[in-house]
Amino acid sequence: MRKTVLLALLAATLVVTAGAQTINVLVWDDPLPRAIKDMLPEFEKATGYKVNFELQPTTSVITKTTIGVTKDRADYDVVAVDEGNVPIVAPVMLPFDKWPAGAKYPKIAKDTVTAAMLDAATWDGVTVGFPINGNLYVWMTRKDLVENATNKTNFKAKYGYELRVPQTFKELLEMGTFFNANGIATGFGDFATGAPGVHAEAIFMWESHGTKFIDRVNGKYAVVLDEKKAVEGMEFYKKLMAIAPANAATLGHSERQAAFTTGKGIFSMFIWPNQIANYENPDSSLFAGKIAYSAPPAGPAKRVAVRGCWIMAIAGASKQQQAAAEFVYWWASKEIGYRLADMNIPGARKDVLSDPRYATSKPWYGAMAQAMDYAVARPRFPQVAQVNEIVKKYWLAGVTGSMPTLDAVRAIVAETNVVLVEANK
Amino acid sequence: MSYSSRRTSRKPRGFSLEGGSPGTVLRFLLPALIFVFAVLLFPAGYSLYASFFNWPLNDASAREFIALGNYARLFTDPEFWNSLKLQAGFIVIALPIELALGFAAALLLNREFPGAGVVRTLLLLPVFMLPVLSGFTWRYMLQPDYGPINWIVAALGGKQVLWLNDPTLAYVAVIIQDVWRMWPFMFMLLYAGLTTIPEELFEAAFMDGASWGQRLRRITLPMLRPTVITALLLRLIDALRIFSEVYTMTEGGPGSSTLLFSLYTHRQAFSFFRVGLASAMAIFLLVLSVAVAMLIVRKNMRLEEMSKGADA
Amino acid sequence: MKNTRPALNAAIAACAFLVLAVELFPIFITIAAGFRRDIEILGAGPFSLKFTTRSWFLVLFKSTEFLGYVGNSVMVALFSTALSLAAGSLAAYGISRFRFHGRDALAYSFLVFRMLPQISLVVAMYMMFQAIGARDTIWGLTLAHSSFNVPYVIWMVLPFFAQIDRSYEEAAVVDGCSRFQTFRRVFLPLAASGLVVAAVFAFIMSWNEFLYALILTSTRAKTAPLHVAGFIAADGLKWGQLYAAGTVLLVPVFVFTVTMQKFLVHGITAGGVKG
Repeated sequence: MRKTVLLALLAATLVVTAGAQTINVLVWDDPLPRAIKDMLPEFEKATGYKVNFELQPTTSVITKTTIGVTKDRADYDVVAVDEGNVPIVAPVMLPFDKWPAGAKYPKIAKDTVTAAMLDAATWDGVTVGFPINGNLYVWMTRKDLVENATNKTNFKAKYGYELRVPQTFKELLEMGTFFNANGIATGFGDFATGAPGVHAEAIFMWESHGTKFIDRVNGKYAVVLDEKKAVEGMEFYKKLMAIAPANAATLGHSERQAAFTTGKGIFSMFIWPNQIANYENPDSSLFAGKIAYSAPPAGPAKRVAVRGCWIMAIAGASKQQQAAAEFVYWWASKEIGYRLADMNIPGARKDVLSDPRYATSKPWYGAMAQAMDYAVARPRFPQVAQVNEIVKKYWLAGVTGSMPTLDAVRAIVAETNVVLVEANK
Repeated sequence: MSYSSRRTSRKPRGFSLEGGSPGTVLRFLLPALIFVFAVLLFPAGYSLYASFFNWPLNDASAREFIALGNYARLFTDPEFWNSLKLQAGFIVIALPIELALGFAAALLLNREFPGAGVVRTLLLLPVFMLPVLSGFTWRYMLQPDYGPINWIVAALGGKQVLWLNDPTLAYVAVIIQDVWRMWPFMFMLLYAGLTTIPEELFEAAFMDGASWGQRLRRITLPMLRPTVITALLLRLIDALRIFSEVYTMTEGGPGSSTLLFSLYTHRQAFSFFRVGLASAMAIFLLVLSVAVAMLIVRKNMRLEEMSKGADA
Repeated sequence: MKNTRPALNAAIAACAFLVLAVELFPIFITIAAGFRRDIEILGAGPFSLKFTTRSWFLVLFKSTEFLGYVGNSVMVALFSTALSLAAGSLAAYGISRFRFHGRDALAYSFLVFRMLPQISLVVAMYMMFQAIGARDTIWGLTLAHSSFNVPYVIWMVLPFFAQIDRSYEEAAVVDGCSRFQTFRRVFLPLAASGLVVAAVFAFIMSWNEFLYALILTSTRAKTAPLHVAGFIAADGLKWGQLYAAGTVLLVPVFVFTVTMQKFLVHGITAGGVKG
């Protein structure tokens, strides 16, 4: 018992000595925030502020945010918000335009990040926070398979054109089928576990085939999905599933990594840049250094890359908005950006991503910069989680063949409309 | 269960007891009362209160009172009934198996041989394992190609099974994971119970010529009954709320075939941010748990018995 | 039951080791994976002899942060187990040895509070803890854990308490001991096996607990399960490190259990325990 009292006293002392100069930061647990954590002493020394830097599993950040940050209470001053959750926290965050000017670090300019990323941080016309980590679909292809002379000859013989990193859906399917049929590698890596991720795949297919899913029409959300094109998209993905690994119907990030980096590997698939480090690490990947990165292949209608993003937001009820802002400006600064990029962790800065110094050592930065031009977003509104589950349920049923694709699309539209009624209130 | 026909709640602390004064009894009960009721009374009440509201997690001020609306909504939700059905099936299948295995092991290991103590301790390792890690490891083990279980099957020349892709097999896998993890719990509890049965009873019966089976039926089983009931009860409470292992293993899929009750509650609370609805689900689960617990205990044990002591 | 036939004993021993081997296979996988490179975990089969010299365990132990979390977990688990064992055994004694109005109702209400799903309690607990400054403290989390461990201990020891002959306590009371002294000196040693079991499982419950730890702690009182969950949810999954961390987490519980089992009395003989 005495020990507990001592500990309580110690904790209390810490709280007291920390004083008004401590900012509470909540971020997701990943190499990027961890790298920032290691750099914190520099920030603390330069500004005199103390930072209470809390890392939590990515899926739990929004839970702690909604509990800890309300209109009247800010247990956290700075919070990392995943793009999809921006509508949910927007009401309680301080709009970026109202952020104070930086004393030690200048206020970051909006044009340091791409328009796509800024859009991710914006909700209802207000920029809710600042994008700190841009994610979007980057395409990975096995360079060694594509450059192999035997493969090139055989492929040309069968299909009549040159083997290369797939630029269109047609090429993706044909090349993938070629490798799959010959037992050289699996053709494609799908994604089938987390609902937001499956929704992303659906958006990827549908936008590539020329139709949006949900749009704001006259200030209200409406399903604008073109049924014919949606079915086309689903049918194409169904073909891709057929050349995917055996457990395609439950493929998650860890299984995709397993399938791509070991054994025969996967010919070609999308990846979120945050995950690339493992694929390029010889300890975890048989094909490190043998991967080509590009923008995703183009669908019949256009080329599309689904966007994801973490933004840093400041609580409206925070009593340390000046300190909080300084922290974000520091994190988003050029110097930090380059140091992170050197560590394989790119942020969202345009200049860093397209810097030629990384062209050979980290080719996926260039791919990311390229892909930004094609960025599309998943629909966003507070009830989007329900739509995620609806899409996951019927999309997977459709692409695995347990439900006719037309019925699946119709079910998605019907149930989404019910949710939108609530969203439009 | 001897719930006294006298309504007990009206008479506060008016003890008529054997063996001690009211003050003494209170001193024994007070710490527990503080640690449980003082801490949980407000949250429990809050939970009940919230279940009558349409309450978004991210904005408590936007809540609106809808009385029994959440409960009505649950009863018309097919996903709710599905998760309830899955949960019930899980309990009915997994718990008896865990009990049987634990009981068999307790009987078997209730003897000394070189390494017996080591075996009894090492057997508990699965219970020590972090639930999230257990779920993750089983997910890994059941993958085709590199998953150890399929790897072994393939090495022996068999055909690989896509466990987690098939709705029924995934459900079976979830049950297997729980049985694997928790039957040593039953074992430890029952084994401890076995060791408290006085040796002389068995020796006397042996002298009287009773066979092993008769000793089992006449001595072991009756003396172990309270322990078995307790084991089932405690395991039931936790099994009704199983979450991390299953979520990490399947996320409720494929489809909704492993969407057990807590997974659905978690989805309502933390994905859909419906605190009110999730609270209603929690209250429902509470009522259900109490009902099932009373069923188990009432039929098989009286608290009276437990306070009599082994005067047999 | 002691058995004097060596052949049967040997057969059962062999059986026991076999069961152990099968049951511990996933544990073996976990431990072995902590020593492998990721590509071997995912490609070389479970019985591969390929191990890496670069140990993930070293990485973990160099991380003062990780050790800090494990330390927090140990403290919270120990405190909560001690508190719950004390409060729980006292209450269980009161319930099983005294008769009073509302006794049954009280016993069952403990059980009911144990049945409340944590997910519905946690938000309110957060608000409570925030108000009294218990958020992100070891003692706060200990309190939260004790709220579910105390009923657990009570109900786990009740059957063990029931089986203890009252004559020992009656003798002690006749000798002039107070109820409390009787409880402490005469009764508790007799109930050792039940107490040990309750202690072990209360420790495990607290050790592996996730939701309260997630919501009620921040940086100072963060516990190990959160760290491991972070590995799994992270975008770049490092298998070897994850399994090394998981293996390390098994150790304190194992040590605790072995220590507790030293208190296990194998078989209770009649013949009375003199106080």
